[in-house]
Amino acid sequence: MSDLDRAIEQLRACRLIPESQVRELCYKARELLIEEGNVVSVDAPVTICGDIHGQFHDLMELFRVGGDVPDTNYLFMGDFVDRGFYSLESFLLLLCLKVRYPDRITLIRGNHESRQITTVYGFYDECIRKYGSANVWRYCCEVFDYLALGAIVLGASSELEPTNTGPANVPIEDSELETEVLDSSGHVTMSTYRPRRRAFSNASTDSRNISPPRDIAAAPGQTGVPSRTGAPGTGASGDGNGSAANSRTGAVLCVHGGLSPLIDSVDKIRLIDRKQEVPHEGAMCDLLWSDPDEIEGWGLSPRGAGFLFGGDIVKQFNHLNGLSLVARAHQLVMEGYKEMFDGGIVTVWSAPNYCYRCGNVAAILELGEDASGGGTVARSNGEYGRSNGIMSDSRVVSPGRRYRVFEAAAQDTRGMPAKKPVADYFL
Amino acid sequence: MANSPAFRVLSTLDESASHAFIEPRKKIYDSQDVSAFLTSKAYTDIMTWILQLNRSMFPLKQADNTTQAWTLNSDAIQYSAPIRQLQQLLSKLQDIIQEVPPDTGPRRFGNISFRRWCEVVESRASDLLRECLPAELLQRRVSDEGATAETELKAYFLGSWGSGQRLDYGTGHEMNFLAFLGGIWKLQGFPKTEPGAEERAIVVGVIQPYLELVRLLIKTYTLEPAGSHGVWGLDDHSFIPYIFGSAQFSPAITETDLTPEEGSLPNVPEPSTIIQRNIVDKERLTNLYFSAIGFIYDVKRGPFWEHSPMLFDISGIQAGWGKINKGMIKMYNAEVLSKFPVVQHFPFGCLFSWDHDPNAVPPSTTAHSTSGPQSRPVAPDGGAPDVAAARPMPGAGTQAPWAKHGAGTQAVPPMGSTAAPWAGARREAVPTSRPGAPGAPGALPILPDTSRMPPGPMSPTRAPWSTQTRPPPSQDGNADVPTKAPWAK
Repeated sequence: MSDLDRAIEQLRACRLIPESQVRELCYKARELLIEEGNVVSVDAPVTICGDIHGQFHDLMELFRVGGDVPDTNYLFMGDFVDRGFYSLESFLLLLCLKVRYPDRITLIRGNHESRQITTVYGFYDECIRKYGSANVWRYCCEVFDYLALGAIVLGASSELEPTNTGPANVPIEDSELETEVLDSSGHVTMSTYRPRRRAFSNASTDSRNISPPRDIAAAPGQTGVPSRTGAPGTGASGDGNGSAANSRTGAVLCVHGGLSPLIDSVDKIRLIDRKQEVPHEGAMCDLLWSDPDEIEGWGLSPRGAGFLFGGDIVKQFNHLNGLSLVARAHQLVMEGYKEMFDGGIVTVWSAPNYCYRCGNVAAILELGEDASGGGTVARSNGEYGRSNGIMSDSRVVSPGRRYRVFEAAAQDTRGMPAKKPVADYFL
Repeated sequence: MANSPAFRVLSTLDESASHAFIEPRKKIYDSQDVSAFLTSKAYTDIMTWILQLNRSMFPLKQADNTTQAWTLNSDAIQYSAPIRQLQQLLSKLQDIIQEVPPDTGPRRFGNISFRRWCEVVESRASDLLRECLPAELLQRRVSDEGATAETELKAYFLGSWGSGQRLDYGTGHEMNFLAFLGGIWKLQGFPKTEPGAEERAIVVGVIQPYLELVRLLIKTYTLEPAGSHGVWGLDDHSFIPYIFGSAQFSPAITETDLTPEEGSLPNVPEPSTIIQRNIVDKERLTNLYFSAIGFIYDVKRGPFWEHSPMLFDISGIQAGWGKINKGMIKMYNAEVLSKFPVVQHFPFGCLFSWDHDPNAVPPSTTAHSTSGPQSRPVAPDGGAPDVAAARPMPGAGTQAPWAKHGAGTQAVPPMGSTAAPWAGARREAVPTSRPGAPGAPGALPILPDTSRMPPGPMSPTRAPWSTQTRPPPSQDGNADVPTKAPWAK
């Protein structure tokens, strides 16, 4: 067993590795990350994850629900650290997995992967407490500077292979499974279908019979639980019946925060000099800090960094870049995920019961592989300007989306540690 | 020192002198201004007020050699008429919750109805204050044109409940309530009694009900912790219950004893018992510290040591509640009063004055470097920012400005640099709901600035460097047209 495998085993048990090993790990990780572009290309199938924030046991639950590395191909959209108790264990494990299986796990940068933010929101304090010095914090921050800013998922299928749980239902005629929501034991809790697309079909055929939650309705007394309808089960074959449609699935841009008024094409992201602390403003800052909002155009962000952007901005950006979806994290959503703007953007949140008190569930998003073998068409690779033709002709089909929703890990098995020396105020 | 009062109390305004009350205004715009704040009269007054309240909560040695402790349900604490009036005020604020039930519609986290609650409170604030406080106190002013004392008190009163805009609550709001009560004290709104008697009635009879109301607001409207560190802070929302609660369990004193710096009153729960639910459930009824711990258990799921490691570590302190009390005051000074994000929106007027305190000792230079606006981003290879480089050194701080005034007051060096749970920053003005016209930030509707704090973990992380409204992405100048992307047709 290699040192790296031993480190992985140790971190999986939530035990830290020695400082010297952290240093070596961070050095190797940087060598690897420096070779990655600002926008990493990732082939479907892939499982997309949102904020973790040091919730180590919940990260283990995520792997239980979504499958282990390297069996499952993962893409984490940043915010590994801060606020939770186990930012070190979580980030170092992900980093070890990255070094061990570089092609099976992609890590992109969140706004918390920054010196200034980690000194304010807890990761710095955690490093001092657990290692007794700022060295490990410094090594980690150096890695942060090399993390990619985004990823493009290529080759995702427009249609989901239905999950075979529960009684087989009659599929809706001439329809394909577009989204599916599963609980942590793998049972389907909601499915949506759309008419199977044919070549040259009109763009206005988006008539799913159930919408995934577009907003949060988690208030008590509200039946926010989606009922299972539709027909997961037999029939709706996912193995390439709609090859013409499948090949039209647009690429998916993954970024921690969102869009920037300074970025009109994916290629512009590639031009950023990313190997630096997250700046206070500018394109790089915006990609990590912005949020979608129910507005038109751009708005000021109450965060004091990045911007708010509306559905029109998303539609235009997706259209011009041949994208079918922007996947992002960065905002707590009570149901773990939230699609907005006719499915043009989705927020994925992977920290259940955030900060021990929010009562939210977490989600991961699985995008399946396009089994038609055709891969993606040229305009779906995120290049700018390929699709300035007629709207109905160039409209790309969104990928089939499977959300796995999970709750916070059980907590009764964690032993109480010894008390640490108190802060200097109490000496 | 022999003839001067042993323990300093907040000085009242001389009734004969003219005091030019004004609408309290923000004065702190960057980290440097925090230095000025730490040598201002307002800072000295706030710290003096806290120490005065704190000392009053220490158990008292009686002439007959018995000890009188001050529990939350103590019969030995007499409530004066002004205190009963303040209790009624709090009760009326609580009743407003019934008028504004939480919204059941879609929401991200915080409940939008809290905004309405704040609006109702604001609309009734003058009436509520006039019902509660004597007219001659509220209407004091210099000339016919000048603002009244009510103007100043109202600013702190309205700042005490959290941010209706961001739907959060934190120690900055708590600080406003202390200023509201301190302002009433300065205006001689509380009767003169034997030392400490009125103060402890304020803590037990007003501050604890205030904290309970705030907890009800937090639970009812799911208010977010303002600017929290997550598990790496003391508490998501509050600080003062840990000060006054630890004083309740500290060794007994006479009126002239120095304030103890270690030890505990006999037969009180050990600090380590905060992880025992049955003890917490019992003690929370009588002690402010356990009352705050109990609220953590109410709202958090998971092992206590994991979601509250700082309180867990403090529970291991062997030197008693007096030691914890001293540490809490030092920490309050460093992590609340010395932190730019917390104090930046505290308004200054006549009651709490921005004027330089001639007796003030300059704070240490590192006291306020954390998370204030920085003139330049940290360079990638620049190593740790200032905050990280300068950790508090025990005993190394500059002497506190108030330390020389009373033999027994606790010296609190204004040391900073441990990142605070509430650290972070907020911009000065944010669009209320839909910044549909970001081209003209000045034209945006801006809610009353009742908040001092950045939002916490449940809400978006705020940029620590954010203080000013920054120009919107488009400068086309047309306020009526939504800004378009530069490439938009």
